Amino acid sequence: MNLAPSISPRKPGWHEHPLRNWLGLLPFFAFILFFLIIPSLNLFSGAFVNRSGDFTLGNMAVFRNPNVIKAYLTSLQVSFLTAAIGGLFGFFVAYAVTIGNAPRWMRSVIMTFSGLAANFGGVPLAFAFIATLGRTGFITAILKGICFPGAEGGTVCPFNPYDNGFSLYSLNGLVLAYTYFQFPLMVLTITPALEGLKKEWREASANLGASPWQYWRDVALPVLAPSILGATLLLFGNSFGAYATAQALTGGSIPLVTIFIGQQIRGDVLGNPNEGYALSLGMVVIMAVTIVAYSALQRQAARWMKS
Amino acid sequence: MNAKRINWWAIFWGALAILYFFLPMYGTLDFSLRMKRGEISLLAYEIVFADPRFWEGFRYSTLMALMTIVISVLVFVPTVYWMHLKVPQARPVVEIITILPFIIPPIVYVFGLIRTFSRPPLQMTLSPITTDLLIVTGYVVISMPYMFRAVDVGMRAIDVRSLTEAAQSLGSNWFQVLAHVIVPNLRIAILSGALICFATVMGELILASFLVRPALGPYMQLLGLTKAYEPAALAIISYALTWFSLGLIQLVSRSGTAQQLTGR
Amino acid sequence: MTHLELIHIHKSFGSAVAVEDFNLAVAQGEFISFLGPSGCGKTTTLRMIAGFELPTSGKIAINGADLTYTPPNKRNVGMVFQSYALFPNMTVAQNVGYGLKIAGKTKAEIEARVAEMLALIQMEKFAARYPYQLSGGQQQRVALARALAIRPQVLLLDEPLSALDAKIRLELRQEIRRIQRQLGITTIYVTHDQEEALSLSDRIVVMSQGRIEQIGTPTAIYNEPATEFVAQFVGHINLLPVEVITPAEGVVRLGGQVIRAGRFGHLNGRPVRLAVRPEELNPGFVEGLNNLSGRVESVTYLGSIVRIRVEVEGHLLALDMFNERRLKIPAVGDALQVHFPVEACWLL
Repeated sequence: MNLAPSISPRKPGWHEHPLRNWLGLLPFFAFILFFLIIPSLNLFSGAFVNRSGDFTLGNMAVFRNPNVIKAYLTSLQVSFLTAAIGGLFGFFVAYAVTIGNAPRWMRSVIMTFSGLAANFGGVPLAFAFIATLGRTGFITAILKGICFPGAEGGTVCPFNPYDNGFSLYSLNGLVLAYTYFQFPLMVLTITPALEGLKKEWREASANLGASPWQYWRDVALPVLAPSILGATLLLFGNSFGAYATAQALTGGSIPLVTIFIGQQIRGDVLGNPNEGYALSLGMVVIMAVTIVAYSALQRQAARWMKS
Repeated sequence: MNAKRINWWAIFWGALAILYFFLPMYGTLDFSLRMKRGEISLLAYEIVFADPRFWEGFRYSTLMALMTIVISVLVFVPTVYWMHLKVPQARPVVEIITILPFIIPPIVYVFGLIRTFSRPPLQMTLSPITTDLLIVTGYVVISMPYMFRAVDVGMRAIDVRSLTEAAQSLGSNWFQVLAHVIVPNLRIAILSGALICFATVMGELILASFLVRPALGPYMQLLGLTKAYEPAALAIISYALTWFSLGLIQLVSRSGTAQQLTGR
Repeated sequence: MTHLELIHIHKSFGSAVAVEDFNLAVAQGEFISFLGPSGCGKTTTLRMIAGFELPTSGKIAINGADLTYTPPNKRNVGMVFQSYALFPNMTVAQNVGYGLKIAGKTKAEIEARVAEMLALIQMEKFAARYPYQLSGGQQQRVALARALAIRPQVLLLDEPLSALDAKIRLELRQEIRRIQRQLGITTIYVTHDQEEALSLSDRIVVMSQGRIEQIGTPTAIYNEPATEFVAQFVGHINLLPVEVITPAEGVVRLGGQVIRAGRFGHLNGRPVRLAVRPEELNPGFVEGLNNLSGRVESVTYLGSIVRIRVEVEGHLLALDMFNERRLKIPAVGDALQVHFPVEACWLL
């Protein structure tokens, strides 16, 4: 006689259901849904409706608006420039403090201030640059004061930047100001990659007969390429989405997409509010592409670094 | 290898970087001290500190920053904890969410906030209190990437599973585990995230300006339109504030690490 | 004839001496191991041969040519690193061919040599793979092929197996020796694992604290250790403090028991110790051999070996015997006599 009770597997109850675990994340998802997803979707959906609320693709006409085109071109120009300049400068500085063996104190100072400067922007940064390179700024005054005796008597002070076509309130000035937080961002982002270059790779390449230049050409730069490209993209996105610095520095006189959107929020400068939403959507699309590309490059870099 | 040779190339770039960091700061400091013609004085600073609107902005932003920190911690710490413990497969989804604030820049985000919350059914802009609530949630979203990363990194460093199981075997419920075991071990990470939050909110302009709240950012912007020397003083004050916050992070992480590792 | 020579090599970092008066002459095709604990200077010496460190004084020569100050990329020595150091952005084939590309060989030459090397390490099918797609053992084999592709005069290996699992380590060990013998290339192998050194080398250089303790064949190192360090570092050893009775014949006394040593130098009154390996001791009394009486203090099973500790005149002696069924293992507390041949012990 079989006295042992039969034990058959029962179906998992609610307590073990895998979905139950996801419930713990509900507060987070709910918060994000209400305060990020819904406002964003609401905004983007506005790009596809007209004033009466009917679906339309007509708002896309905003991208043919000459002012808008100008804004996009200027934004792209500024972003490319600051990404390139900030990227190059930042790379050399990062190289200097890692492989380049700059003195230890220099490395501490630069890393600390990179952390500070990368977060420093907006209104205070604009003020700082105005106080430094504005018409009555500190460096402007110094440059103005470099005077020589003139040809016909009197003095000549040829170094006043404003006499030579420079203005802080122009595109060049903006690029200069943006570089202040772009190159530190590059330093912070690329330093781990540079430190990830294994010393053994350099030694192995030397062992196989390569000169330092050949090592950089064949091993170091290719390995760093995804990281450098990714970081540059990050800089590009950072610049493209920036608003406060430009607004505070130029008061809106330089046409940028972010400035334009800001003006649209304050008043209907486009004549059709839905076109403003389309503009915002366009901006987000560009940012999304940038960030996705950045993530892909990061993954590639990580794969190589781990080997 | 001869690694101790002086590398002039490196020193050149390092010096250039330091120059770029310091010249604008020095210029600003110098400018801010010259309000009284011909002499160095703290007049610009005195004026700023005597301005009631400065203190209103400072108080408001500080209050908003503290609320942001509290709400961030309350929302993110349990979330990161739960994700590490029970739902690691949620990580890809969650990481994409934390990247969203980069993809949706503040100027676009505030546009969306206004469109959604300035009219029924979700109207929050009618009274100052609800608008303040709105701006705080906005701040939480904006600082989410940094706060989340800080907490996540901190959580990775502690053995979440073992600690939880040990606490549960001694009778704790979920809340007690979080409050008595997890959070105390995350002190440094939370503090780092909180300080970044603080610096971000204090300097924030876009949300405060477009939602028309009396924060420090709009005050500074307003002053910049009409004054010359006070804005420079404000820039220095702002820089000092950021330096203070980030400096605290360094201090805290250096002194606390040993304690967190050894538990002594 | 001497292929590689290190003459009076000194290396100090500031005031810290890393390598002191290192002298070694290596014949063509010899497999030499540098064996010693961490910090003994073996890796530093290897890196000086490779050119990554410069000796503070001394000379390094290959085939008579003085290489001491030649830059590392002009020495034509092949190096295999502990961490493999494969270039992550290149395939296996590109890694192996890199040295040849730098040397300016034609594409055809490179392809042929790469194929040859991949066949040597039996990884032809992996030519297009990237390092991150390979296991540790596979990466190390590729590193070996890469170093050998340039036909180096000397092959240097810096603890190549320590990052690998035990099983892979054994397989790869055999393979390295096979390839080395096949190519007849002079090889220097740095390791802290004595089993590796003993099983692979023609000769071993045992180092401690920057100095050479002994150079010899594996048998000589094991059976005739020249210093106490070598005796203790390589294998296990019993060391008993004894009193000299007859210096001319190596007769010594431990407590009340008398022993004759097989090897002894000048015994000029300094404190002496008797050295004997645990595996040379066997239980029981045998006439004509050295015999000691004591009491069993502990019995430890180590799998195939049983280690018995016997207390003799207040000192502990370790005795290793095989865990064979037919042998009776003594119990703790038993009185036990042990015997060992005179030739199996010596005085230090």
